[in-house]
Amino acid sequence: MIVIDKLCYNSRLRYENASEKFAFAVITLCICVMSRSTAVAGIVLAVTGILTVWKGGVPVLRYLKFLTVPLAFLFLSTIAIMFNLKQVPMDFFAIPLGNWYLTASYHSFFYAVQLILTALSAVSCLYFLSFTTPMPDILEVLRKLHCPRLLIELMLLIYRFIFVLLDVASAISTSQNCRLGNKDYRTSLKSFGMLGSVLMIRAVQRSNRLYDAMEARCYDGTIRVLSENRPPRKRIIAAIVAFDTALFIFAVWRRFFS
Amino acid sequence: MSKNQKRILVLASAFALTFGIVPTVSAMHIMEGYLPGGFCIAWGVLCVPFLIAGFMSIKKTLNEHRNLVTLLAMSGAFVFVISSLKIPSVTGSCSHMTGTGLGAILFGPSAVSILGLIVLLFQAILLAHGGLTTIGANTFSMAIAGPFVSYGLYVVLKKANVDKKVCVFLAAFLGDLFTYCVTAVQMALAHHADTTFGAAVGKFLLVFAPTQVPLALIEGVITVLIIMGLETYAKPELRAIGYLKEGK
Repeated sequence: MIVIDKLCYNSRLRYENASEKFAFAVITLCICVMSRSTAVAGIVLAVTGILTVWKGGVPVLRYLKFLTVPLAFLFLSTIAIMFNLKQVPMDFFAIPLGNWYLTASYHSFFYAVQLILTALSAVSCLYFLSFTTPMPDILEVLRKLHCPRLLIELMLLIYRFIFVLLDVASAISTSQNCRLGNKDYRTSLKSFGMLGSVLMIRAVQRSNRLYDAMEARCYDGTIRVLSENRPPRKRIIAAIVAFDTALFIFAVWRRFFS
Repeated sequence: MSKNQKRILVLASAFALTFGIVPTVSAMHIMEGYLPGGFCIAWGVLCVPFLIAGFMSIKKTLNEHRNLVTLLAMSGAFVFVISSLKIPSVTGSCSHMTGTGLGAILFGPSAVSILGLIVLLFQAILLAHGGLTTIGANTFSMAIAGPFVSYGLYVVLKKANVDKKVCVFLAAFLGDLFTYCVTAVQMALAHHADTTFGAAVGKFLLVFAPTQVPLALIEGVITVLIIMGLETYAKPELRAIGYLKEGK
């Protein structure tokens, strides 16, 4: 139902140590966001892309398709950053509209290009994490980072319930489709409203029954799950440290010395 | 073709490109990597007091009624699922609702701040909406600012004896619009390359308006439909949810 969730359970990097993957993704992401340079962004995009596709075994087309998910946002906000409505034309180009100009400067053009590249490479870091690491493993890492216990427990429960509710929702919408529930715009709005309220009712009922079931099995406030993880390997840790240090030094060099 | 005709052609195609290829219109999550490091941290820090308040209130409620933990989790999952379903939209592009207005009306703003944070994290990792570095900014606009406006409006309008449908609609609609304005301000603060801050806010508002304003309207209508459905069929369940609000 959730494509990313399916992909990450089938990834070949799934059984690598979760802390390693988490550290790699987050540190690289931070360097990438902090540096704001096109060269760093290019390197990060290439490395995480290759790792996810080649090492992780995600189909290339799928991966590229996922990279286009944020495209609408990117497109609209780039327009907002690049174009200006001014009375004086700027140096990149200018389209006159009566007394005003729809215009852009070279500065804002390069700024926008750099921003698009940075954003795409940051997204590729995020994809590396979400395409290789299932949610329970990420929660295990958060637990090691001393995230509050209540929060972790809530997240684990929510993660489980998402699939339960999605199942209910898809069943309801199938039966609505069977009964011409989406025949025109008015009915489809009404159907969606009904779907929402029934979903809420089902959720409340289920949550009561679920608590009873958990109570019957000695629930005391923590849910303990077995994590199937390989122990961290020195070779991989060394590789991550080497890559991120090199990237960091390169980013600093690009920023201050060139 | 004269020069003028060419110009019109260029403008028309630019317009068509802008509004033709809009694959998914989701609520305005700021994309991963779109804000500079300093802004990510600043927005994150700004969220902390609200999150701590929300966390305390949830903890207090759960200490009193231990059995509400599953209800709370179901509510979080509900917000996630509602925001991941395609809603019927006029233009045929697929759009998603925020669900935070509905959440604020049902569960109260303090619970929604924590649930919103978790839902945003899941949306980033499972649906690729939003991101890890921008989670602070997104939490502020979608899980704190919007729900507080929605809930405040809902309470005030209910006190003023406005019709329930109108008051739910206005709460959800204006909460959504407020989220969109806050996001525009956040983006403009970070990126105003060669204009003033005010002009940048205007530009972001203008560019996102064609997608966000209809979305807010639809979200308002759907929220009314859902609440009305619940009022009709689920009085006891609503009473159970009412407990979540008490721990403010």
